[in-house]
Amino acid sequence: MSAVGEAVRERTAGLFWFWSIGAFRRVLPVLFLVALAAFILGPLLSLILWAFAGQWFYPGLLPQEFSTKWWTVVFGNRSVVSSIKYSLMTAPTVTALSALICLPAAYAFARFRFPGRRLLLLSFLSANSFPKIGLYITIATLFYRLNLMTTFWGVVLIQLVGTLLFMIWIPTGTFRGINRSLEEAARDVGASGLRTFFQITLPIALPGLLVAGLFAFLAAFDEAQGTLIVGSPNYITMPVMMYTLVLNYPQPVGAVFSILLTLPSLVLLLLAQRLLRQGYLAAGYTL
Amino acid sequence: MSRQFPGLRWIVPVVIAAFVMSISLVGAPAQGQVTGVTLYISGDTNIQEMFDKDLLPMFERDTGVKAKMVFLEHGQGAQAILDKIIAAKRAGRQTDVDLYETQPTFIAQGASEGIWLKITKDNMANAAKVDPQRPEVLVSSGFGIPYRGSSVVLAYNAKHVKQPPKTYDALLDWIKKNPGKFTYCDPQTCGSGQAFLYLALYKFAKAEDYSTLSFDASRETAWEPAFQLLRSLKPAIYNNGFYPNGNVAVLQLLGRETIWMAPVWSDQGMSYLDQKLLPPDIKLIQISPPFTGGDSAIAIPVHAEHQAGGLMFLNWLLTSKAQTVVVNKLAGYPGIEWKYMPKDVRDKFAAIATNFSPLPNARYQADAKRLWQEKVAGSGQ
Amino acid sequence: MKSSFREGAAGLLLVLPPLFLLVFVILVPAGQAVLDTLRVVRDGHVVYSLARYQELLHTISLRRSVGFTVSVTLVSAAATFVLAYALALYLRFSTGWISTLLGALFIIPLFIPTVIASFAMITFLEHHGYVASLLQHVGIQETPSLVFNAVGIVLTEVWASIPFATLVLLAGLQGIDDSLIDSARDVGAGALRTFRSVILPLNRVATVITMSLLFIGILGSFTIPYLVGGNAPQMMSVVMTNYFTNYLRPDISVALAALSFGIAAVAGGAYVIGVSRREREVV
Repeated sequence: MSAVGEAVRERTAGLFWFWSIGAFRRVLPVLFLVALAAFILGPLLSLILWAFAGQWFYPGLLPQEFSTKWWTVVFGNRSVVSSIKYSLMTAPTVTALSALICLPAAYAFARFRFPGRRLLLLSFLSANSFPKIGLYITIATLFYRLNLMTTFWGVVLIQLVGTLLFMIWIPTGTFRGINRSLEEAARDVGASGLRTFFQITLPIALPGLLVAGLFAFLAAFDEAQGTLIVGSPNYITMPVMMYTLVLNYPQPVGAVFSILLTLPSLVLLLLAQRLLRQGYLAAGYTL
Repeated sequence: MSRQFPGLRWIVPVVIAAFVMSISLVGAPAQGQVTGVTLYISGDTNIQEMFDKDLLPMFERDTGVKAKMVFLEHGQGAQAILDKIIAAKRAGRQTDVDLYETQPTFIAQGASEGIWLKITKDNMANAAKVDPQRPEVLVSSGFGIPYRGSSVVLAYNAKHVKQPPKTYDALLDWIKKNPGKFTYCDPQTCGSGQAFLYLALYKFAKAEDYSTLSFDASRETAWEPAFQLLRSLKPAIYNNGFYPNGNVAVLQLLGRETIWMAPVWSDQGMSYLDQKLLPPDIKLIQISPPFTGGDSAIAIPVHAEHQAGGLMFLNWLLTSKAQTVVVNKLAGYPGIEWKYMPKDVRDKFAAIATNFSPLPNARYQADAKRLWQEKVAGSGQ
Repeated sequence: MKSSFREGAAGLLLVLPPLFLLVFVILVPAGQAVLDTLRVVRDGHVVYSLARYQELLHTISLRRSVGFTVSVTLVSAAATFVLAYALALYLRFSTGWISTLLGALFIIPLFIPTVIASFAMITFLEHHGYVASLLQHVGIQETPSLVFNAVGIVLTEVWASIPFATLVLLAGLQGIDDSLIDSARDVGAGALRTFRSVILPLNRVATVITMSLLFIGILGSFTIPYLVGGNAPQMMSVVMTNYFTNYLRPDISVALAALSFGIAAVAGGAYVIGVSRREREVV
């Protein structure tokens, strides 16, 4: 607004402007990093130690005795192994199916004008903000009528509900961010609507769609309550088992299983890290 | 937004490969070709192990019928399966739950929906061996059959406690004199905490008034002094009034010697001592009046897909052979009456076959837990 | 040019499949359930009344739970916001190894399922847990439990929400042109002043999105307060479950769900207003 009548400060080069507060400049970021690392990694580290603890009593900083016996306990349990298999089956299927039905909708939300567009887009937020505890009897009754109970596709469908928000909002933002003139240029040289979509729009949108897929995958992978109701006894997934293990087993067993359950998502983390910081998530949340 | 980045090139093939792999796996699992009988069992680890390692293999050997077990944790999981059984009934379908082992209160919840089969000696011979006055039967509105019994006992650390209390009143005294060294788990989440709560209620009201099937909300006014008493204990409870979630959490506190005394399930206490998850100084005793017992029963849905299989398993489970395994494994007492058990088992376990206090019926239990939450834990002070 | 009617029809048609799923699996059952909470049998007749909601608000422990839920949610959202903003600023305006490490670090919780996050927090913060052991070694005896109370819920919620908040705020900051900041510096504005009068207003949309969606997300979370929370007061999501499974009062449970949805809707409204104002400004 107005000019600031202050003495000339020492100017730091380039974009480090906001960090020009004296001697703390060098130390503070390191402290911040260390504190954040302790906060974020600390609980995970203690979990890893527990998974290998043969005996660990307070106040030892490390287990008094290391052991891998809990790993054999977990892997000796047949249902644990099959739950890993089912989790790895359902979550990718849900993500793919979710993309199939949601991406056309997202494209419509981004490109077409139709009555109630904003309201409909907003309504998908309710899928993730209405507490479902009282709804499961009604949902299960519906699934019974449709012969979906205890089936693979029933599990897929119940997990699909939790992915709608991500698969619609994020791609809508991505499609909206693509310059229309590119598509129009393709049309001008005679490309059909579908061809334009697959050859022009989709490649540009791909990173954003992958971000959406990632969030959808994690949401599906994490779902426990609905999966238990619809999937049991045939499809018991990892998060469903996790509730039982955390509450009813000695701590090391829960720790071992936690690590197992985290591994698939960690692979995604390595793949997706750069992708996530491209702003597609935020674009999806600007309606 | 169309920035280049190197990761993309190989993400796409990986994602596609993962998807193709998952699709090819879909064919693998059996869908709906459940042969035999599907059992839904809830509870703590020791129960799961007993079914997994002992009972189910024995049953399959004896009968040639394959049994499949789904294991659930008490709270969330048990409710989910109840929801599922109710939904099947409403939709006019069969349910894959052929047999449901759970807390009697959950069985009572489904009673009004008409989802349970009334089990008598006419459809299952061994029902005749079960005492119809057992708390498991009464609390479950008559639809649950007990197959194991255990009661809550007092666990204490003999290293720190030389003279354990022998009565409930002495226990209350001890708690006040040793602040921070006692706790009971949140009655929402476990039976051992409920037992402590119900004994407080029975201190001011007659147990028999609440254990039958009839319900009269006005009788609950008699509980008021009990809630006041429990509220006054709060400062003397571990961590200034912290009630852990679940039986296991209490055992862990005892194991780390952060507390010296707590009510625990007799079977769980024994199994934790066996696995050396509790120090050997921990002793288990019953006090007077005794804590309540019986946290589990079995019910069979009227619309079970393999109802005959469910009844067959339950009948087998109540034979003296299977019951001997249960009693030995859990160090509890059998679901059938003692007189039907082999003599050596009777002799071995005579000492712990002490009596227990009756449980309030399901409606009273629900209200007692709610009032405890409102007046003790949630009272502010 | 397509006619606007055809465009509208095509749009609706494409939106239909996911909408169909939403309506049948969530909206219809939810509507039905909420309608049921309004139905009361009086003298053998079914009448509509707010009696259940009155009962709910007259029960002290429930009233406290509502207050507790809102305050825990606000504190968690605010703490996450401050931390995430600091992170986003650093990531936007600094390069170097610290920035690289921070960038790798903050994203991790996104990939940890909440059950595990809660479980890990318990082993870390409990009475005689890892933090207590560490403090014991530097001479601080008997650290109280940092989980099973409001502190535990807030810490775990912050832990789990950092990636989302940072990503959205960072995207907002990346949208601000370097030249605007440079010109602020050219007229001699200090760091704080540049932040207050240039960055903060320009990043308003991201702020609104982060705050309102953090609020909605934390308000509705179940796993974290269920595993990490204390006995009382409890978050509404846990209380709902108790009324449903333990107290045989599904009606109160659904009434609480409706109330919680109502509170979330307020945040949703703030979000819509905040985001649309920007659209008007842009257009």
